[in-house]
Amino acid sequence: MGGEVFEAVVSAHHGEIYRYLKRVVGRAGDADDLSQETFLRGYRAYGSLPREANVRAWLFSIATNLAKNHFRSEARRRQAYEEVRASARGAVLPAPEAELVSRETGALVEGIVGRLPLKQRLAFTQRKIHGLDYEAIGRSLGCSADSARAHVFQALRKIRQGLDGHGLLPEERER
Amino acid sequence: MSDKSAVCLQIEDDLLAAAMGEAGAGAARRVEQHVAACAPCRREFQGYRAVDSAVTALREEPVPSGHLAQARQHLETRLLDLRQRLLTYRIFPSPLGHILIARSELGISLVEYLERGTSLRASRLSHDPGVELIEGGGELEAIHRELLEYLDGRRKRLEWPLDLRLARSDFHRTVLQATAAVPYGAVVPYAGIAQEVGKPAATRAVAQALRWNPLPIVIPCHRVIGTSGALTGYAGRRVGLKQKLLSLEGVPTAKRAGVLGITPQAMYILYPGDQEYCIPTCPSFSGHRPAPLTRFSSRENAEAAGFAPCTTCRPDLHPISR
Repeated sequence: MGGEVFEAVVSAHHGEIYRYLKRVVGRAGDADDLSQETFLRGYRAYGSLPREANVRAWLFSIATNLAKNHFRSEARRRQAYEEVRASARGAVLPAPEAELVSRETGALVEGIVGRLPLKQRLAFTQRKIHGLDYEAIGRSLGCSADSARAHVFQALRKIRQGLDGHGLLPEERER
Repeated sequence: MSDKSAVCLQIEDDLLAAAMGEAGAGAARRVEQHVAACAPCRREFQGYRAVDSAVTALREEPVPSGHLAQARQHLETRLLDLRQRLLTYRIFPSPLGHILIARSELGISLVEYLERGTSLRASRLSHDPGVELIEGGGELEAIHRELLEYLDGRRKRLEWPLDLRLARSDFHRTVLQATAAVPYGAVVPYAGIAQEVGKPAATRAVAQALRWNPLPIVIPCHRVIGTSGALTGYAGRRVGLKQKLLSLEGVPTAKRAGVLGITPQAMYILYPGDQEYCIPTCPSFSGHRPAPLTRFSSRENAEAAGFAPCTTCRPDLHPISR
C-alpha cells in the first residue's frame, strides 16, 4: 500500500485535481470534499493499480466519477451554476481596455462552461484546461476517445456562439 | 437552417481542430487554403482562435492559495485516519481451513481462521467500525505461499513484518511480543509469558490476552500451554488445531484422562535465564526453585534457538529416546 509512495502522489496531483473539481463543481467546499474523496479512493485502490498506469489520468477519472455523482442532484447542479455565474460577475473589475476585454471574455467563457451539459463540461475542462488526451477523457466519462473529442468540440462551438454579440470576438471588434 | 456551403460544412470539424492546434498536417493545410478564400469561415476560425486564447487565460488563473492549502490539510488528516484503519485482505484455503490474511502498510496485522464461512462476512472484523477492509491483489500471495510451506513443514520461520495495531491494549501488545519470541519447537506455560512481561502474577490475564491473538501461527500462541502441560484452549475450542501445529514442530502430545497435553518427559527443558538445555532428569535442577520451564521438542530446535547442551546431563551424549 506504501503510504510514503502515496504521499508523493498527493504532492504531485492534489493541486491540479482540486482545481479541476473547483472548476467543475463551482464551490470551494465541494471541491474540498470531492478532492479528499478522490485521494481516499485512490489510496484504497493504489496497491492494485498496474505499475505502468498513468496515475494522473487515473485520478482524473476518479474525480470525474465523483463529480458526476455529485451532479446527480439537480439542486446541486443549479447551485453550482449560480456559483459560477457569481464568480464570473465578480471577475469583471476596472482595468486597462485589453485586460478588461480579456477578463470579460474569461468571465463569459466561465459562465457558458457552467451552463454546458455535464459531459461536455467535464470533457472540455479535462481537455482545454488540464490538457488530458482524448483516450483518458473517454475512459473517465465511459465513452470512446472520439465521443470525448465530440463533447469537447461541441463545448467549443457553444462557447463560440455564446461569445457572439458581445463585441469580444475579433471580427466584431473589426466591424 | 445553415446557409453554409457544402464545402464549408465539410471542413467545419477540421476548422475547429485547426483553430485549437489539434488538426493533422493535411487537414491544417486544407483549412488554411479554405479560410484564405472564404470570409465567413475565416471569421469563424478567428473566433475559435479567440476562444482558445480566452481558455488559455483561464488555465493560468490561480486558485486562492488559502483554499488549496486548507483542502490539502483536510486531506492529510483524513488520509492519516484511513491509513490507520485500512487493511488489505485475502482469504486463502489451507490445511487448517480457510484463513483470512490482512495487512496494513506497516505489516501483517491479521491471520484469522474462518469457521463460519469462506467470505469476509465470516470474519470477526467484518463489522468492526474501527477497521476498513478491502480485498487485496497479489501482494498477499507470497505470504500465503510461505504459510503453506510452514504448515507443510518446509519452513520453520515466518519472517513477516508485523503490525500489532489490532492488539487491544499495551499489555496485550506486550504479551503478543513476548509470545512471538517463543522459538520453533518449544512450549512455555502461560506463567512463563507472565514472568517474561514482568507480571508474574498475571497468568490468567496472559491467557485471556492470548484468547484474542490477531496473528495466530506467526505469533505462536499455540506454543503457550497450561502449567500442567495441558494444551488448553486455541481459536475458541479448537485444541485440535493447536495439537496439529505443535505436532508439526515435533512436540509430543497425548490425551490423558480426557485432557490433551504435551508429554513432558519426552522433551528437553530450559530453566528461565539459563543458556543450556537439559534432559528432564538433570541433577543440576535439584537445587533450583520451581519456575516456568521452556520445553523443546528436539535438541536441534533448542540449539537452533541459541541454547547449548547442559555440561552436567549432556543431552548431546544422552538424548531422550522416545
